[in-house]
Amino acid sequence: MNTPSSAFTEYLTEILTGSKSLVVGLWITLKRLFTRIVTVQYPRQKLTMTPQFRGHIEAIRFDDTKTHHCVACGLCARICPSHVIKLQGEKVRAGALKYGHHYYIDFSKCSLCGLCVDFCPEQTLKFSNEYELVFYSRWDTVIDIMDRLEKSR
Amino acid sequence: MNITQLPYLKDIYAFLGSDVTAGIVGLLIIAAIVPLNVAFLVLVERKVAGHIQLRPGPMEVGPHGILQTLIDAVKLLGKEMVTPQSTDKLIFFLAPIIVVAPAFVGFVPIPFSPMMQIKDVNVGILLIFAFSSISVISILMAGWSSNNKYSLIGAVRSVAQNVAYEIPLLLATMSILIMTNTFKMGEIVQAQSSVWFIFYQPIAAIIFFIATTAETNRAPFDLVEAESELVSGFHTEYTGMRFSLFFLAEYTNMVIAAAMFTVLFLGGWHGPLFPGMIWFLIKTYFLIFVVMWARWTYPRIRFDQLMNFAWKVLIPFSLVNLLITAIVLKVL
Amino acid sequence: MLNPKTIDDTSIDQRVYTLNLGPQHPSTHGVMHLLVTLDGEVVLKVEPVIGYSHRGHEKMAENRTYEQFLPNPARMDYLSGMIFNHGYCMAVEKLCGIEVPRRAEYIRVITSELNRIASHFIGAMDYAMGLGAITPFLWGWDDREHILDLLEGITGSRLTYSYGRFGGVRNDITKEFYDGTRRFIDRLRGRFWDYENLINQNIIFIKRSKDVGVITKDVALDYGVTGPTLRGSGVNYDVRKMEPYSAYPEFNFDIPTREEGDCLARYQVRMAEMEQSLNIIEQALDHLPPGPIRAKVPRLVTPPKGDCYCAFESARGAVGFYIASDGSRIPYRIKVRAPSFSNLFVLTEICPGHFLADVIAIFGSIDVTVPEIDR
Repeated sequence: MNTPSSAFTEYLTEILTGSKSLVVGLWITLKRLFTRIVTVQYPRQKLTMTPQFRGHIEAIRFDDTKTHHCVACGLCARICPSHVIKLQGEKVRAGALKYGHHYYIDFSKCSLCGLCVDFCPEQTLKFSNEYELVFYSRWDTVIDIMDRLEKSR
Repeated sequence: MNITQLPYLKDIYAFLGSDVTAGIVGLLIIAAIVPLNVAFLVLVERKVAGHIQLRPGPMEVGPHGILQTLIDAVKLLGKEMVTPQSTDKLIFFLAPIIVVAPAFVGFVPIPFSPMMQIKDVNVGILLIFAFSSISVISILMAGWSSNNKYSLIGAVRSVAQNVAYEIPLLLATMSILIMTNTFKMGEIVQAQSSVWFIFYQPIAAIIFFIATTAETNRAPFDLVEAESELVSGFHTEYTGMRFSLFFLAEYTNMVIAAAMFTVLFLGGWHGPLFPGMIWFLIKTYFLIFVVMWARWTYPRIRFDQLMNFAWKVLIPFSLVNLLITAIVLKVL
Repeated sequence: MLNPKTIDDTSIDQRVYTLNLGPQHPSTHGVMHLLVTLDGEVVLKVEPVIGYSHRGHEKMAENRTYEQFLPNPARMDYLSGMIFNHGYCMAVEKLCGIEVPRRAEYIRVITSELNRIASHFIGAMDYAMGLGAITPFLWGWDDREHILDLLEGITGSRLTYSYGRFGGVRNDITKEFYDGTRRFIDRLRGRFWDYENLINQNIIFIKRSKDVGVITKDVALDYGVTGPTLRGSGVNYDVRKMEPYSAYPEFNFDIPTREEGDCLARYQVRMAEMEQSLNIIEQALDHLPPGPIRAKVPRLVTPPKGDCYCAFESARGAVGFYIASDGSRIPYRIKVRAPSFSNLFVLTEICPGHFLADVIAIFGSIDVTVPEIDR
């Protein structure tokens, strides 16, 4: 039974608890006003990427041959869902495996799924740490990773 | 041969010392300082919002983003002032002008320090309230003439909100006016030389604060321009400098409201060491900081709850407060 | 006032108007189009229009092998990308009969629960932002950032993970992940007080959420609602408990349920679920078994002819992957049952009679991800 006096006390208690909750809310916000900001202000401060970070793929330079181990089998090109990879290789001499000369990826379509890295039988691909990539036209996004490997010598 | 005996020079001196000159000079100073004030306040709001939300706010333009509002104003000046085709052209054009003009006039009776007051008008408080009510019609004009459903909803909400919250505002002020028996703002400040009125009338102070937050359309009462619902409320269709006039008017109204609270409750320019004007500014900006702080803490109130709050909570409390004040003063 | 139940196109008069809470709007998360018929400020009818983000995922599945489809589930509901990814792997494993090593199952559970917490941060705080409290939304993103950093340490991606493979996961967890997750659990437990007192106990928030958008049990079960939306209406249904999969039977956790069915109940269910997820992660880290992380699976899986349906619980509700295979390396049909699709249409039932401001609140509390609706 909602007698007039109980309705009035309900009204007053609602106002009092409401005001208390408002003041507590203000106190929480005030505490956060004086904490340090969490923004990393790029480009003045930069973060280092973790080893697992997925940039575009690149070839690994192995120590025994001082170059990559790509045999131009084409498994990566066939497994890629976005049809990003095109490669070309030739046999260096008779009886040996093929050697991949040119390996183009169209990075604008790559979805960074990692299937090419997983499927390579020679394990010669890895993810790079590149994230500051800027291109001026769509055609510049085609990267030749064997070229990059040579240039990074 | 005394210089004051020359007839035309006497008239010139009379003119220079008269109230009209004081008024014109004061208004020119206000017109020059208010935009700078608003620029400063916009930056303070963005920085306060940023730091509450654990981010730095504007940092690029100038050291720590000091020049941000200046560059924003330059950008808004350069934008095209688009007028949609099927709007009511005259009202659309007039609305930003009418919203900004009363804001400037409201500075006339405010006593920044014992000597710096443009004119100690006899009905100072009433003047400010009257002029701030004009901005309601301008919001309605802006919302109606935009020919946009969102703007119309926002404008209609704002009329109801502003009219409803005028009443507790006036009732809380009346509690102070009964104590001081005068409308002149200078005399109200003088009457607080020993004890500030906020200690005599804490409830009236809280009601006044909440009511001015609602009058200036600031959160948590900002459903007029509720960003998450109505895109931008009544000023959705305004671009360029017209938009910045609405912005200017909002922040100027906030400054006037904070100044009134200072004069009525916080003792105006009274304070120990510094000259009066510095204390006045410190108190006013502290209040504006509290308003901004409340904006980034609370969600928005729904429209019917807003009306309920005004009619069922604020008005009874302010009436009871007025009654108690009257009884205490006249009987005891 | 017009009766919301009897409104139709012939009873339109001057006061009734249609508002487009259009595809571009600050608070419809994603491209959601709501056609709202209003009388003043009272809503008479709400009609969602979907299809703005249809990208043809299920058609793509008919032209790609099972491995090539791996990036796609994470893009359907990008906020629970890890859960979808693992769920798809689970569906194919169920079809092929592949057994996943225990360590891989535990890692899947840990990463899925981290993803669930991250998604609930956005879901719950997006609701607060729809009401006007912008600050807790940004605090939620800060806490979510820690989860994304942790997951980036092992998978390399922050939003669209292709971490699960058929038979396990792609690579093992590192020591940094292990320590970082422990620290994260302690940190988050200390944060709940802040969110509780700023939002939950706030009188304005309570007044706007209590008894707003009440979904009764019958309406919820009629529309096929699942997830926190259903658990806020009193039905204790969670796929992790009802049809347990992966390593979930080995953990003990509660399913938070509330009886009222209003927006406040759904918000509280989400916050309570975050705490339960922390419990699961802690138990999983304590008992992490050693062993291989991937079963021996042929490079290109060829499931036998047949079909299977695999259900799991994402942050939004019960997801189902139905895979029909004709014995080749390319699936015949993959159908995804997205929870947001069923959850969304409850709006048509519960919104009439509320105010316009409430429609935004109710829409935020149902926590819909629009790209999941039109894959």
